[in-house]
Amino acid sequence: MKNKKSVSYSKWGYIFIIPFFVVYIIFNLYPQILTVYNSFFENYRQGLTQVGPNFVGFSNYVALLTPSSEGTIDILRYLGNTMIMWVMGAVPQFLIALILALIFTSSRLNIKGQGVYKSIIYMPNMIMAAAFSMLFFTMFSTVGPVNQVLESMGILDKPIDFISFTLPARSLVAFMNFLMWFGNTTIMLVAGIQGIDESLFEAAKIDGANSWNVFSRITLPLLRPILVYVAITSLIGGLRMFDVPQVLSKGVGMPDRTTFTVVMLLNNYLGTSKNYGMAGAVSVLLFIVTAILSTFVFKFINKKEEK
Amino acid sequence: MKKKLVSLLMVATMAASMVACGQTATEAPATEAPAADAAATEAPAAETPAAEEGKVFNIYAWNEEYKGFFEKYYADKIPADVEVKWTIVPSDNGAYQEALDNALLNQENAAADEKVDMFLAEADYILKYTNSDFTQDITALGVTDFSNTYAYTVEAASDVAGTVKGVSFQCCPSALIYRRSIAKEVLGTDDPTEVQAALSSWDKFDAVAADAKAKGYLMTPSYAETYRVFSNNVSQPWISDANELQFDANINTWMDQAEKYVKEGYTLTEGIWDAGKNAEMGKDGKALCFFGPAWYFNFCMGPAHDEAMGDWAICEGPQAHFWGGTWLLAPTGTDNPTILADCMNTFINDEAVCENLIRNEAQFTNNQAVNAKVASDPEYASEFLGGQNDVAIFAELAKNIKFQNVTLYDQYCNEGLQTYFVEYLKGSVDSRDKALANFYTYIGEKVPGIVTPQ
Repeated sequence: MKNKKSVSYSKWGYIFIIPFFVVYIIFNLYPQILTVYNSFFENYRQGLTQVGPNFVGFSNYVALLTPSSEGTIDILRYLGNTMIMWVMGAVPQFLIALILALIFTSSRLNIKGQGVYKSIIYMPNMIMAAAFSMLFFTMFSTVGPVNQVLESMGILDKPIDFISFTLPARSLVAFMNFLMWFGNTTIMLVAGIQGIDESLFEAAKIDGANSWNVFSRITLPLLRPILVYVAITSLIGGLRMFDVPQVLSKGVGMPDRTTFTVVMLLNNYLGTSKNYGMAGAVSVLLFIVTAILSTFVFKFINKKEEK
Repeated sequence: MKKKLVSLLMVATMAASMVACGQTATEAPATEAPAADAAATEAPAAETPAAEEGKVFNIYAWNEEYKGFFEKYYADKIPADVEVKWTIVPSDNGAYQEALDNALLNQENAAADEKVDMFLAEADYILKYTNSDFTQDITALGVTDFSNTYAYTVEAASDVAGTVKGVSFQCCPSALIYRRSIAKEVLGTDDPTEVQAALSSWDKFDAVAADAKAKGYLMTPSYAETYRVFSNNVSQPWISDANELQFDANINTWMDQAEKYVKEGYTLTEGIWDAGKNAEMGKDGKALCFFGPAWYFNFCMGPAHDEAMGDWAICEGPQAHFWGGTWLLAPTGTDNPTILADCMNTFINDEAVCENLIRNEAQFTNNQAVNAKVASDPEYASEFLGGQNDVAIFAELAKNIKFQNVTLYDQYCNEGLQTYFVEYLKGSVDSRDKALANFYTYIGEKVPGIVTPQ
């Protein structure tokens, strides 16, 4: 009799994760499959007239990957732009976030009022990206405050159109992404460091390890899972970069399309002509690239642990 | 406790940023239930349309301009129980067209109160709607009297077979708007007739530009200021019947002029809507010539109104042209045909309303009789133009307008060319060919199946 009273709770585990899978299948998996399916069709609107869908095999992909008369493959150029702007923002983002996280968690510094600092560095992320971008566009325009200040200080004799040069334009995009995301990364890393067993730090201290040793032998290795997570989410977010360069460059990727990202291309295909075929092909290529790069980052950061 | 607070903060902020992302991806159309219904309920119902008509009158537009006129001069004629609902989506990058297309494609399935009952369209893309089954014959609805409207406005609102699908409440001949104080310095006069004589051809225009430069002024405030003058007088459309992108000789002339003017310092590399150009309208403005119709100098020259009121005048300029204009179109499937037709008739044929549009709203209307009446009124004078009778000049210019060589994609071609060509003028790209190649790529993305010269 007593044996029968013991109840198996394992099924509840499955029941509780059902909602996730249902939502995932309906809102993620199904659209994903649909995207792949659409990429094999000619399907767009000419004015208000619908063309297609007609099955065209791989011709959308061929069109995307055919070099132009100048010998460049446009989508690769845009992918390059995206990656460059991501790296320009992500490298300082990780460095600063790591330093801040170490400062916040240092038992020696024992900073008071951390909540306030954390909230402040998180603030930029709460502004809508487009509004943030619009703000920078206005600040750096030829009649904007930055030029006015530089002129009144006598540094410039006539205004500079920052956004018409590649490096400043890309730097602005990277800087905005940095500003918006370093707070988020910091909080992640703080949580990661706080998750490390305090006794390890104490033991190291007793053994006479200096700060660098503690950081490189204890903090960094044990932080690796969080670092992988942060790096991959940042990479995926970076590849999908859209609103900041879209608004800053008024949707055209100026100058010379060097701030034009892959998702802006997607937007151009989808916007007017609802070109689901080409947009689908762009999405699928972006998905493949994301998968490859994520695997690479994952392998790269995790590699050292194997020794 | 502390950790809980932190995690709560994180969840809240992440949720907030996700919501924010969702909003930025697609510029959320602002749907407004405006003050119109308040006005409508206060006023007694003048005439009651057939009882079975819809209770919500849906209007799609890209800015507030027409909404103001509608509320002031028409809203009180709408039956008290009908609500007017505006959907306003900005037109940048084709966003308005996209929102409108979606609404029209869904028109058949939409609930009666959701159906588009009237929408506004611009010259750059009106063709897309008139040449489709999504708009209907307005003569069948009771809008039949076009005796006073300008022929080009009716032509623009007609499909290839000549069926009229809408009306415009304005007529948009574009003029050369010059700054009197600078004209006095450069030309020695600010009299419209004499200024016109000095600027009546492009050769004279170039000569004056050199003079203006020598005296420390700009000829125009934007490299694209004269764009419409050229693009409006093309002899072939942007896109051929074979779906090829083609450059008219006039467009090439404009590019040559823009390049020369930037190089010589006659103009700036600011776009026509850029803040840097608008600054030239203010009290420290150095630019002599602007180009635009009545709507332009009355609604888009804010700094000029604030800081240089009365320091302006208009004349024809080197070449006649028009710019823009707003048409009211009748969508198929509207459930308020009576209000729709009545509204259209009011804005083209109600002389009192048209006269108010001129006198109170600084419009040049689509009613020739009213325009002529005001043109010959010695009392009428525009304060902005230093007492000049702009209606008299526009009435002359309006005779020359032709609506021709337009395509579905003119907005993308006109805006795209200006945007990418200026990169060459600014030095962001090193050759004209490179700038044009970027323009072709852009058009290739926006217009499926187009053949570009590349």
